[in-house]
Amino acid sequence: MAACFLLPALTIFFLYRILPLGWNLWLSFHAWSPLKPAQFIGLEHYEEMLLDDEVFWQALGNTLIFIGCSPLAIMAALAIALLVNSDLKGAAIYRTIVFLSYPLMTVAVGIIWRWLYDERSGFINWVLRSAGIINEPLKFLQSFDMALPSVIVADFWQVLGFYMIILLTGLQAIPQHLYEAARVDGVPARARFLHITLPLLRPSIFLCFVVGILNSFTSFDLVYVMTNGGPGHATELLITLIYKAGFGQTRFDYAAALTVVQFLLLVVLTWVANRAAGGNAGSRET
Amino acid sequence: MRRRNLLQATAVTAALAALPRPGIAQAPKKITWLTWNLVHLESHIKGWIASFVAANPGVEVEWIDKKGPELPAFYQTQLVAGTPPDVIDIQGALGLEYAGQGALLDLSPILAREAAVKGSFNADYLSNWVFEGKNYMVPYYISKTLLFWNKTRFRDAGLDKPPTSFAEIMAAATKIKGGEKTGLLTLNFDWLYWPFMQMSGVELLSADLKTPTFNTAKAADALGQLAEATKSGAINGISWTGRWVEPNEAFATGNVGMLHAHAPAYFWIKGKGPWINADTLGAAHAPGGWATPNSHGLGISKGSKNPELAWAFVKHITGDVVADSLARTASVLTGNKVVDQAQLVRLEKDDPAAFQVLKTQFEHTDKMCGNWRLGNDSRVKDAFWPEFQSAVLGRKDPKTALADAERRVARELRRA
Repeated sequence: MAACFLLPALTIFFLYRILPLGWNLWLSFHAWSPLKPAQFIGLEHYEEMLLDDEVFWQALGNTLIFIGCSPLAIMAALAIALLVNSDLKGAAIYRTIVFLSYPLMTVAVGIIWRWLYDERSGFINWVLRSAGIINEPLKFLQSFDMALPSVIVADFWQVLGFYMIILLTGLQAIPQHLYEAARVDGVPARARFLHITLPLLRPSIFLCFVVGILNSFTSFDLVYVMTNGGPGHATELLITLIYKAGFGQTRFDYAAALTVVQFLLLVVLTWVANRAAGGNAGSRET
Repeated sequence: MRRRNLLQATAVTAALAALPRPGIAQAPKKITWLTWNLVHLESHIKGWIASFVAANPGVEVEWIDKKGPELPAFYQTQLVAGTPPDVIDIQGALGLEYAGQGALLDLSPILAREAAVKGSFNADYLSNWVFEGKNYMVPYYISKTLLFWNKTRFRDAGLDKPPTSFAEIMAAATKIKGGEKTGLLTLNFDWLYWPFMQMSGVELLSADLKTPTFNTAKAADALGQLAEATKSGAINGISWTGRWVEPNEAFATGNVGMLHAHAPAYFWIKGKGPWINADTLGAAHAPGGWATPNSHGLGISKGSKNPELAWAFVKHITGDVVADSLARTASVLTGNKVVDQAQLVRLEKDDPAAFQVLKTQFEHTDKMCGNWRLGNDSRVKDAFWPEFQSAVLGRKDPKTALADAERRVARELRRA
C-alpha cells in the first residue's frame, strides 16, 4: 500500500532525475549531435577535457574559487544575523533590508551590478572618484583580475539575506538558558560565541555551505548577464562552459561529459562539507 | 452517479478512438515559423501570415518567436524531438552550422528551378549562406558593418574626413582621445571586429578553410596597435567587453570619435543621441571597404513535413509586398533588390542620415569578410576570440596570444 502512495512521486523522480542523469552519463561516452546517430567513443571526451582543454581547467578553477569564497559570505551573514538578533534598535528593518536582495531575479541582480560597476557612469566609480580615492575609473568587469571578484561580490550581495535568515533562525532556536547559565558562570562573550553559539549553529552553517556550493555551481544567469564568462575566460564557470558547449557549439556530448565532472565534484564537495561539519550535520540529532 | 459518468466518458473516448480517421486527412496543412527577436512586429507578422493563409486556403501557419539565447536552445531541442519548425529565421553563421549538422534543407535545387526568385535577392548577401557549394538560406533582413564617425569630435581634433587605412584609424583615435573622450569603439560579437585584421592584411584561414593563417607579423603588429590604443584610451575598452548595448550607448553620448558597428546600430544610437543628424554623424566604409555581414536569413528545416509549403511561405515573406512592409516597419534592408532600392529612395528624401548609413550596405559587397563558410564557426570563434581579447586588453602579448589562438583554432579545425 505504501508503495502505491510512493509510486507517483518515485515515477516522476525517476523520469525527471534518474533517467536524464543516466542518459547524460551514457551521452558522455558517445559522439552525438541532434541529427547524427550516437557513436561510442569511450573516454575520448574526458581525455579531451582533462588533457587538451585549458578552458575546462580555468572554469574549474573559477568554480572552486567561487565555492571557496562562500565562507566569507556566510561569515558576513553570521555577523549581520548576530546584529539583528541583538537588541539593536530597528533590527527588524535592517533584517528586511538585508533580505530584500534575495527574492530579486538573478538577471535583475546582474543588470543592477553591471550598472554599479560601469566604468563610465557606474555608481561605485562615481563614489570612488568623488571621494578622491581613484583618478581613473576602475574597469571592474573588463579587467581579467577584477572581473571574477566583482561577480562574486554581486553573488554575495544577493545570497547574503538568505544566509542571514537561515542563521537567524538557527540563532533563535538556541535555548536562552544556556547563555544565562554561562553568564552566571562568568563566561566571557567570546567564549559563549565559540562554545555555545557556533556548535549549536552547525546545522544552519552546514545548510548555508551546501546552498553556497550549489549556488556556486549554478550561478549561470549572474555570470551570463554580467560578463558572459569573459573577459577571456576570466569568469568562466563550469556551468557557463557546459551551456556554451551544448547550446553555443552544439556539442551536447562534450557538455554531458562536463556535466558528469561537475556532478561528481558536487557530490564530493557536499560529502566533504558534511564530514567537516561532523558527519551528521543537518540531522535532527545535532 | 459519478461512476456511471466515468464509464460513459470512457466509452465515448474509446468509441472516438476506434473511429476511422478521415478527419486527420482533412486537417489543414500546417507549418511553423520560428523567428528571432521579432516579437515587437507581432501585429505585422500576423498580417503577413494572414495574407499567406488567404492565398493558400486550408493552410495553417504557427508563429513562434524566441529571444536572443533562447532560439538556438529551442531549435536544437526541437531537432532532437523530431519536430523542428518548418521555416526558421537565423542570424549570421548559425545557419551554416545547422546546415553542417544536416538540419537544413538544401535550397539550391529550388533556387535553380526558380531563377526569378533567386534573382530577386542581392547575390552577395545570398551567397553568405552557401556551405559546401549548396545554398541553405535566403536573406530576410541584412546588414554589414561600417564606420560611423562623429563629425564634431573629428573637427575638434583637427580632422575633416574619415580614415582610409588602419594607420589613419589609429592616428585619428589617438588625436580624438582626451578627458572623457575616446577615439574608437567597435562591436565585437560574431567576428564584427574582423575588418580591423582584414584591412591589415590578415587572413584567418587558408582558402580551403583547413589551416589557420593568421599568426603573422602583420597580425601581431595590428593586434599590438589595438592593444596599445586600448591601453592609452584611444580605443574605448568597452569595445572588447561590451556586447551590443554598451558600445552603442557609449557612442550615443557623443564622446567617442568612431563607432565600428553594423547598420542597425544607427537607429539605436539615433534614438539615444539627440546630437545625431546628417550634419554631425558621418557614415563611411571601413578602410579597404571591408565589412562583416550580420544578416538574418530564412531556411527550411530538413525535417519539415511540408517543404514545398514552407518554400511557398519563404517566397511570400521575402517577396516584394511583405519584404516592403518589413522594410518600412522595421527600417531594415531585406536583401530583396527591388524593395531595398525603394527603401533607399524613400530614405534619401525623408532621412538623409539613415540613407547615408544604409547605402553603404550595398557598396563593396564583394569585400565582406569574417563570414567563413564553416560548419563549426562558433567553435573557431570561441577558440580565437578569448586570445584576441587577452591581447587587446593587455593580458597577453600579441605574439603569445596569436600563437595560443593558432594552436586552439588548429585543434578545432582538426576536430571538424
